[in-house]
Amino acid sequence: MKTLLLGQYVPGDSPVHRLDPRVKIVATLLASIVILNAGAAGSLAVTAFLLAATALAGLSAGRMMGALRPLAWFFALLFGLHLFFTDGRPIVAALPAVTWEGLWRGTAVTWQFVALVVSAAILTMTTDPSGLVGGFERLLRPLNRLGLPSHDLAVMVSVALRFVPTLLEEVERMREAQVARGADFGTGGPVRRLRKAASLVIPLILCTFRRADELALAMEGRGYHRGPRTYLHELRFTRADYAALLAVAGFLIGVEALRFLPL
Amino acid sequence: MIQADRLTTRYDPKGPPVLREVSLEIPEGQYLAVIGPNGCGKTTLVKHFNALLVPQEGEVRVDGLSTKDPKAHREIRRRVGMVFQNPDNQIVGMSVEEDVAFGPGNLGLAPSEIRGRVGAALETVGMLRLAKRAPHSLSGGEKRLVAIAGVLAMRPAYLILDEPTSYLDPAGRERVLNVLWDLRREGISVIHVTHSMEEIAEADRVVVMSDGRILRDGAPRDVFREADVLRAVGLATPQVTELMGRLRDRGCGVRPDVLSVDEALREITALLGQATGGSR
Repeated sequence: MKTLLLGQYVPGDSPVHRLDPRVKIVATLLASIVILNAGAAGSLAVTAFLLAATALAGLSAGRMMGALRPLAWFFALLFGLHLFFTDGRPIVAALPAVTWEGLWRGTAVTWQFVALVVSAAILTMTTDPSGLVGGFERLLRPLNRLGLPSHDLAVMVSVALRFVPTLLEEVERMREAQVARGADFGTGGPVRRLRKAASLVIPLILCTFRRADELALAMEGRGYHRGPRTYLHELRFTRADYAALLAVAGFLIGVEALRFLPL
Repeated sequence: MIQADRLTTRYDPKGPPVLREVSLEIPEGQYLAVIGPNGCGKTTLVKHFNALLVPQEGEVRVDGLSTKDPKAHREIRRRVGMVFQNPDNQIVGMSVEEDVAFGPGNLGLAPSEIRGRVGAALETVGMLRLAKRAPHSLSGGEKRLVAIAGVLAMRPAYLILDEPTSYLDPAGRERVLNVLWDLRREGISVIHVTHSMEEIAEADRVVVMSDGRILRDGAPRDVFREADVLRAVGLATPQVTELMGRLRDRGCGVRPDVLSVDEALREITALLGQATGGSR
């Protein structure tokens, strides 16, 4: 099956893979904040940090490009808009719209988005989905008291993820069943194609409701109830996790603090 | 013990009942086969056993707990596990081991205890090797076994399986049936709903249902002896039983209640032995 999600999990045993998901989630959030605020020096520091993390995780440049490629048009558009629509000194006199300021801003903004995607991709490529769900669940647990049911959310998300491939198979089966009866999905303009896709969506929704019904019965049969539950893999911080969290948080907060220094 | 007492159920208040005054007692440790044509009410009946359905008329008790008491539902469902027909709709975990851990997690067990139960359940169904796999990458038979393991991890005393071998190839079917026999040997009551006679020749007891009623209830041998009754409701006896019946009709002195190929072989060789004067 083709890869669907950006930055799908790449199984491995690198130091980054082995880190507690919570460390990686917190690091990614911190990195995002820094990226959105960074000046020139900060940008260089965060770039170095992301490159180091990618290398340490054993993720190849090709894989990282794979995560970025689907967004290439977006990046190009973003860069182009800034390049052409920022006021300032023209680079070439013949093209007054293209300015040095535009070039600078376009590069900075595009870099921000590339860096955000890369940092999220490092997280999702080195953490299996259940680790990710478990990590978020643990991080959100303190909010239980405020009425945010982290356990229920975790079950919801993991059931949803579990059913993605199943529903895709189902769509494929329905498509084949319709093709076998003479439907034609490959041709026609966008409107026609969209209308044909609707003939898959409705049965898919019906099937999904039927599945959900049975799933609910099965979950009830296995003792599901709202509220706290326990897990096969309870996350536990090791010394390496503490060390990594301290080092990464220290570094990123340091970079963020750079902005406030009178340099 | 599971006791059903004069159970009557209608899905449509004005329509005919799906179950008509069904009474049944299932002692612990029994391998019970519930057999009947489609729409005879067998699935409806077994859904009452773990309180997925609550009796409209009559009563169901599981080890003395009435399914009419909502407070007892959790305990009843822990004791009576249910494996549904479509394994895809009951696997909730993103990996095999996490799925099996779902039930014990709901019970709030410690991770070490969960690990023990997951290991034991996967061992029982022979799926330990695939513990880390994603459910959608498994074959139909393997999914079925994961669904069974997921229920076994709850340590039920009774295990209900609704058509556990449908859509399986012969090898997958064999694997599932062998697991059911292992469970029976471990003292778990197996309640096996099916419409295939071939699979249940070795059950301790067969309940034949038709049109919401229990038509026959007894040892497979006694039930299969009445081939006409079964045929009348659209069920076929196992092929060997059928063969022996026909031989008997032709005047051969074989037993009419043969259930397995081995038994049939013995009968036929004995018959041939008589015919040739005991030379073989």
